Amino acid sequence: MELTDKLLSSYVAFENRVDTNSDIHEIRSKAFQNFENLGFPTKKLEAWKYTSLNSVLKQDYSLFPNKENAIQLADVQKYFIHDIDTYKLVFIDGKYSSFLSESTHDTFDVCLMSAALTKPKYKAVIENYFNKIAKKDNLTSLNTAFANEGAYIYIPRNVEVEKPIQILNFTTGSEAATMLQPRNLIVVEQNAHVQIIERHQSLTSNPVLTNAVTEVFAAKDATVDIYKIQNDDTNASLVDNSYIEQKSNSIVSVHTFSFGGNITRNNLNFYQKGEHIDSILKGITILEGKQHVDHHTLVHHIEPNCESHQDYKGIYNERSTGVFNGKVVVDKEAQKTNAYQKSNNVLLSDKATINAKPQLEIFADDVKCSHGCTIGQLDDDALFYMQQRGIPEKEGKALLMFAFANTVLESVKIPEVKQRIAKIIANKLNVKIGFDL
Amino acid sequence: MLKIENLQASIDDKSILKGLNLEVKAGEVHAIMGPNGAGKSTLANIIAGKDDYEITEGTIELNGEDISELAPEERAHNGVFLSFQYPVEIPGVSVTNFIKTAINETRKAKGLEDMPAKDMLKMIREKSELLEIDRKFLSRSLNEGFSGGEKKRNEIFQMAMLEPKLAILDETDSGLDIDALRIVANGVNKLKSKDNAVIVITHYQRLLDYIVPDFVHVLHNGKIVKSGDASLAIELEAKGYDWIKQELV
Amino acid sequence: MSKYTEDDLEQELKTQEYKYGFYTDIESETFAKGLNEDVVIAISKKKNEPQWMTDWRLEAYRVWKKMEEPEWANVHYTKPKFQDIAYYSAPKEKPKLNSLDEVDPELLDTFKRLGISLDEQKKLANVAVDIVMDSVSVATTFKKTLGEKGIIFMPISEAIQEHPELVRKYLGTVVPTTDNFYAALNSAVFSDGSFCYIPKGVRCPMELSTYFRINEGGTGQFERTLVVADKGSYVSYLEGCTAPSRDENQLHAAVVELIALDDSEIKYSTVQNWYPGNKEGKGGVYNFVTKRAICETNAKVSWTQVETGSAVTWKYPSCILKGNNSVGEFYSIAVTNNHQQADTGTKMIHLGKNTKSTIISKGISAGKSQNSYRGLVQISSRAENARNFSQCDSLLMGNDCGAHTFPYIEVKNKSAQIEHEATTSKIGEEQLFYCNQRGIDTEKAIALIVNGFSKEVLNKLPMEFAVEAQKLLEISLEGSVG
Repeated sequence: MELTDKLLSSYVAFENRVDTNSDIHEIRSKAFQNFENLGFPTKKLEAWKYTSLNSVLKQDYSLFPNKENAIQLADVQKYFIHDIDTYKLVFIDGKYSSFLSESTHDTFDVCLMSAALTKPKYKAVIENYFNKIAKKDNLTSLNTAFANEGAYIYIPRNVEVEKPIQILNFTTGSEAATMLQPRNLIVVEQNAHVQIIERHQSLTSNPVLTNAVTEVFAAKDATVDIYKIQNDDTNASLVDNSYIEQKSNSIVSVHTFSFGGNITRNNLNFYQKGEHIDSILKGITILEGKQHVDHHTLVHHIEPNCESHQDYKGIYNERSTGVFNGKVVVDKEAQKTNAYQKSNNVLLSDKATINAKPQLEIFADDVKCSHGCTIGQLDDDALFYMQQRGIPEKEGKALLMFAFANTVLESVKIPEVKQRIAKIIANKLNVKIGFDL
Repeated sequence: MLKIENLQASIDDKSILKGLNLEVKAGEVHAIMGPNGAGKSTLANIIAGKDDYEITEGTIELNGEDISELAPEERAHNGVFLSFQYPVEIPGVSVTNFIKTAINETRKAKGLEDMPAKDMLKMIREKSELLEIDRKFLSRSLNEGFSGGEKKRNEIFQMAMLEPKLAILDETDSGLDIDALRIVANGVNKLKSKDNAVIVITHYQRLLDYIVPDFVHVLHNGKIVKSGDASLAIELEAKGYDWIKQELV
Repeated sequence: MSKYTEDDLEQELKTQEYKYGFYTDIESETFAKGLNEDVVIAISKKKNEPQWMTDWRLEAYRVWKKMEEPEWANVHYTKPKFQDIAYYSAPKEKPKLNSLDEVDPELLDTFKRLGISLDEQKKLANVAVDIVMDSVSVATTFKKTLGEKGIIFMPISEAIQEHPELVRKYLGTVVPTTDNFYAALNSAVFSDGSFCYIPKGVRCPMELSTYFRINEGGTGQFERTLVVADKGSYVSYLEGCTAPSRDENQLHAAVVELIALDDSEIKYSTVQNWYPGNKEGKGGVYNFVTKRAICETNAKVSWTQVETGSAVTWKYPSCILKGNNSVGEFYSIAVTNNHQQADTGTKMIHLGKNTKSTIISKGISAGKSQNSYRGLVQISSRAENARNFSQCDSLLMGNDCGAHTFPYIEVKNKSAQIEHEATTSKIGEEQLFYCNQRGIDTEKAIALIVNGFSKEVLNKLPMEFAVEAQKLLEISLEGSVG
């Protein structure tokens, strides 16, 4: 059966399992109709010009794995940032694993979405925030239609969460192919502070398609740092839709590290609804084989005196493809905006491709906006210099690539995350040298 | 030439000048000194007509005519020249092109024809020699990538080209090394005549070694609190501004 | 910084006057409105064209009929009613002229008021001019001088008669009839334009120039320009456009094809000043133009454009860098004011090895206008060592306009080096006060600053064009500050 048909026909079954009396039932049905009308995106859509999901959609995905699958901590520990104390929300094949998780309700909530959607205690927050900024496009609508499980994080005023929160989505491969649609909601109230690490991990080479949606609300003076680690199996594809709304004086940063996976599409959207906001979007992408990563960013400057900083580094080897489509919109009212966008790319192979489209749409006159995009190679002179001092070519290249990516890495605030990324990069580049941080 | 009476001015409702009086006659050099934040640059900008400031009281007369309602370019046409403390960059507009436009616009305002190219060429040659300005410099974009010294020399070069009646030099010595200071001061001295006047605004006495003032005024808290001859500047340098402040208490 | 001589200084100090605003009244012969196969055949017949040309047009017409008007550009307008346009209009006393003396004096007067006095230009600038007025070429000067070098420069309608083998060999090879909606329409109905051929190894001794003008109401202008630079040759070509003010929208759908054979160079400069519509956005020319060049080995093509006119502009002068070591350049200034909309940019298609392209785009938006840069840099997998540098700068004046950049970069070769930069800025209060203080009023100061902003592109224009372009910038932005 075609995936679209399968989704359409299983919606009824899904509805029967969830509470149809809840307020979000209507949201789900509307979203479902929306998806029914739109279908999956094709390359004909400008936003999907450089990314085709066709090969991914061909798989016969199981939508709701029946079995409760358990995994041993020892088997998956390496996927956690385990050398520091953290809160953890772990999902196995889309189902919450209380065994592996470490949730809390003590002064703030780090728990599961399915509970938040049904329990009266969370009603007000859900009413105020759920599906409020998520776009009504094809894949987000599809996720909304089936929205049920994921992470729910609520940080009240003036709370600084000291431990980072890890959200991990494991796929066990118990089904021949699995489709997951996690739905996360992160609400950070005034002057609160939280750090979140997110990871999707398939434990076998059975195909996985994840269509995730995360909504983040940062109130006045809030600080939110999100780290997305994308280092999945090469048969796992991911569409990661993130929507972030910021109020005055808030600072939100999202670092996206794309190393693994088959096709990865990141839709990262920032909406600045206040003044003196800072939005930070950074990414390192290192690909090989036939991997494909598409970074689609939007920063919408709606009010005056705000800033945004985008810095994406990409290294593409073998037959991999990178896409960077960054869009900055500055509304008429958003005077004194400072928006910076940078996309630097290195191609290591003649079969690799990079497509970039850094877009600016400016409607205010007193703004500073710039974007820069470069595509080039590693510096031969620098490489020769290192070789002359006895560093072998492979290691020399790795060092150069690391230096190239380092402007992104150095802004990571959690040292353990930084070390982990550096390690993944070393593995990815197949060198044993440690990178000094 | 310039007569300022009871000038009071504010920016964003913050009062900066609080009843300032100053009279400058043709052929005179006045120095206005004072600590940071005294209102020195404000005074220069107000005379030149910057519209960030609101004049709440008082008058500014140039040769008997009240200029306080005139646009900055009209004041310039009347012979007011301000050498900026921080001259702005205008990318892509060469020094030559800029000064040509400035001269011809001023001539136009006076009902004169554009200056013939060969006259202007001659004048540029003369004045650039006076300020030891290299020909190449003239083709560069206005103030873009100029060093501090180059910017100030360029200001005085423009002053030489425009031949103003009243020149106000706002902290022209800041950012200058000793050689540049000498060149700039030398230029100003050569341009001085019995028909024009110069107001030198400065924090330090250094520049006044080269451009010797007839009068020195100390500006403090929006008012001229002390006036004297060149020796006042030397006294100030020796005793510091605290001396004035204490004297006022 | 290159050397700056006394001469340069003197040149810069020279003041040039520009007079603008005119109206001309020349009797025209116009076809009835509407388009069908009969009209296409009639145009071809009127021009006494050979059968292959008629067939070529008909084929284009049939393709066009099946095509849809493109909608992807960032412009909004009422689509032209293609059946309400007269597809042929020629000055009635169609002159077959050999010298300027024979040109209708009123027409000459028009050009004088346009600032392109032919006499003067002949003497001063050494420019050979072909003038296309409402689609028909009325005078080609300097034909003889050029003839001695073997250079062919004539209306394309004559070239079809006199050099059919050359026209047939190259026409439609860079912009095929099927290329896009407007190109197909142009192929079907173009009534004239210029043809230029520079023989092997010849350096064209003067600038070649065409002036286009839409005069008659309710007509469209569909000119076709074909420039062929044979191996090792060089030519600099200028194109100017004007139209008087009219209330209705007029359609201009031109096609320009440049063929730069091995080791040749073509410089193509345009100053486009079609009527932009009035302050309320009524009237104005729809300027939907397809311009493309193909560069063979070691060839170089430079497009320079100053776009100040038209209500809507849709234009992407492009280079197909087919040969190894070929070079493509695009220098553009686009000014939009009032309700103007411009969606313009370039495509640099790198196919050959060591190909190089440079893109400098300066967009200036004022009033309620929208100004978009849209560009593509494509490096194919075989294009070893391709280089591109792009810079797109926008200047916004006022708060009701928009500046947009849509650069597409597609790279399939690891040895490519691509740099793209874009900035947006405004004219600073401090800059204005500085100019005011030196006696320059605000309007003049803006003109000065805008000229400075556009300098890199203005510098690429031949001298006499640069002066006109500077004045045009000034005129276009008049009244843009309150």
